[in-house]
Amino acid sequence: MRVHRTLTHRTVIVSAVLALALAAPASAVASKRLIIDGSTAMLPLVQKLATAYHKAFPKIPAPKVGGGQTDIGINDVASGRVDIGDASRDPIVGQDPEGLVWSKVARDGICVITNTANPLPNLTQETVQGIFTGDIRSWSQVPGSSLTGPIDLFDREAVSGTQDAFQDIFLGETLKISPSATQESSEGLEVNAVGADKSAIGFTSFAATLNGGVHTVDYQGIPCTLANAKSGQYGGVRNFWMVTKGDPKGEAAKFIDWVTKPGNLTVRKIVSSEWIAIH
Amino acid sequence: MPSRSLSYTRRWATGRTDRRVERSLGALAVVVLVFIVAILATVLVKAWPSFSHNGLSWFGPGGNVDTQIRAMAESKPLPGHSIYYFRAWPLIWGTLLTTIFAVLIALVVSILAAIFLTEFAPPPVRRMLDPVIRLLAGVPSVIYGLIGILVIASYIEHHVISEARKASVAYVVQLNGKDVMTATLILTLMILPIMVAITANAMAAVPLSWREGSLALGVNRWRTIWRVSLRTARPAIVAATILATARALGEAVMLAMVSGGRGFAPNLLDGITALFEPVRPLAATIFENSEGLTIPALAHTVYAIGAVLLVSAALLSLSGWASKQRLKRYGIRA
Repeated sequence: MRVHRTLTHRTVIVSAVLALALAAPASAVASKRLIIDGSTAMLPLVQKLATAYHKAFPKIPAPKVGGGQTDIGINDVASGRVDIGDASRDPIVGQDPEGLVWSKVARDGICVITNTANPLPNLTQETVQGIFTGDIRSWSQVPGSSLTGPIDLFDREAVSGTQDAFQDIFLGETLKISPSATQESSEGLEVNAVGADKSAIGFTSFAATLNGGVHTVDYQGIPCTLANAKSGQYGGVRNFWMVTKGDPKGEAAKFIDWVTKPGNLTVRKIVSSEWIAIH
Repeated sequence: MPSRSLSYTRRWATGRTDRRVERSLGALAVVVLVFIVAILATVLVKAWPSFSHNGLSWFGPGGNVDTQIRAMAESKPLPGHSIYYFRAWPLIWGTLLTTIFAVLIALVVSILAAIFLTEFAPPPVRRMLDPVIRLLAGVPSVIYGLIGILVIASYIEHHVISEARKASVAYVVQLNGKDVMTATLILTLMILPIMVAITANAMAAVPLSWREGSLALGVNRWRTIWRVSLRTARPAIVAATILATARALGEAVMLAMVSGGRGFAPNLLDGITALFEPVRPLAATIFENSEGLTIPALAHTVYAIGAVLLVSAALLSLSGWASKQRLKRYGIRA
């Protein structure tokens, strides 16, 4: 009987200690943690940056990063619900709330790719739109193509940031990629699929084209290279912004300064893995 | 009295450790139970908004499911619909097609393979095949996915699908080797080893005297295998089928790679062409959209798909248990 009671006591004590141990860190972190939301396309980049930031300054808790949409991020930061809003489009005067400060953190670029058996010299914006919306269905309708027969379209899954960038830069607000396109679930699979199918066309980020295996098509006469993207000549590029209410202050200022500081190799390495660094 | 007190102490001590072990094992069992209930509850609660906005039509056909997912990802509802608008039929149909085809093929092949292994294979061959089958059962599904994409899908695209067939459906869907056929083939390959292993084990456990009795009555070997060995092994075959179906239902990564990545519902009336059309099963859809979990509508939808998979897995094991109850009377236990 006695043994029984001590055991029960011990169980109670152990579980109480465990419960406290589990609850404690949650309350300790709750103070002064940066909250970021906005563009889903920027989510992977900002998450990586947040983790690296916490690693560089272990005493500062890693910022809490959420997704949603650029406009949600902008509205949230204007109303003070979050500290930083991520925006994957340029500011629109007259439409965006007043008093916001936009800090450019990176660029995002897209290359259109075809099979190496179909080294298309150039595509105009009109042709890209025609092909990807499904209006142009045969290679014989594409100027400069030596192929005939149907075009195989390769798209990315709906939540992919690359998909969002392509849609945004090449198609704009109203046009949509043809629903008959095959959706690949990663950059690697997309490059592999286009590399294996001679009548294929698709798109990827800059980083994914560096290893070859596919042909990168010039867009409006400008080759899709990192140098052209940085100089601003290449048209298939958009900017990534971090938006704050007024000039960044406190923790938000520290984080944005760290991200945009020239010569920060950690940031540059993360950004150039899939995107284009600003420096 | 020293000896008595010693034995008393010892008994007391073992009683105490026994009780401790019993209690900690009991606690572990309860934790597992709590875990399962917690998972079910979480998934159902998070899935609820998707079901409540769509009602039973959630399971039905209607519009293009990819367009609906994209609308949620962009947080821009389709004109005339709520942001939750979702019709899962193409995904459900894709899951049914790949799972049913794969399980049917695997069932036939695994029974024949098990018969060979237990009845005909010379011992050295069996000694070699046993570990190979076990090894195959443990290969991670990503590896099957890679083989599917690099070898089988490109073979089917270049040598099986003709240009004429491609052109005949070019306005609706593009055929590129990632399709029902590839997905089914690889899924079959993936579930086959477990089915062979379980069935062969059960057939090897059939008492020799039963088979000898049958042979002694003048029944030939094939009939003995068919009417005695296989019949006795039926509960095990059911168990193997259930296990394989569950694995096929839940397979996500491999299917996301080889099934074609489009929420398209192939029409079986198209004949052979339907087998070359892309699908995207439920689990693969969860995998592909997991990046969008921060977007509320999409997250609820993904959880709803998860809930459907969870409930069907539960129903599956329940029906397996029920059908085994009847078979157990005639068979050996498995």
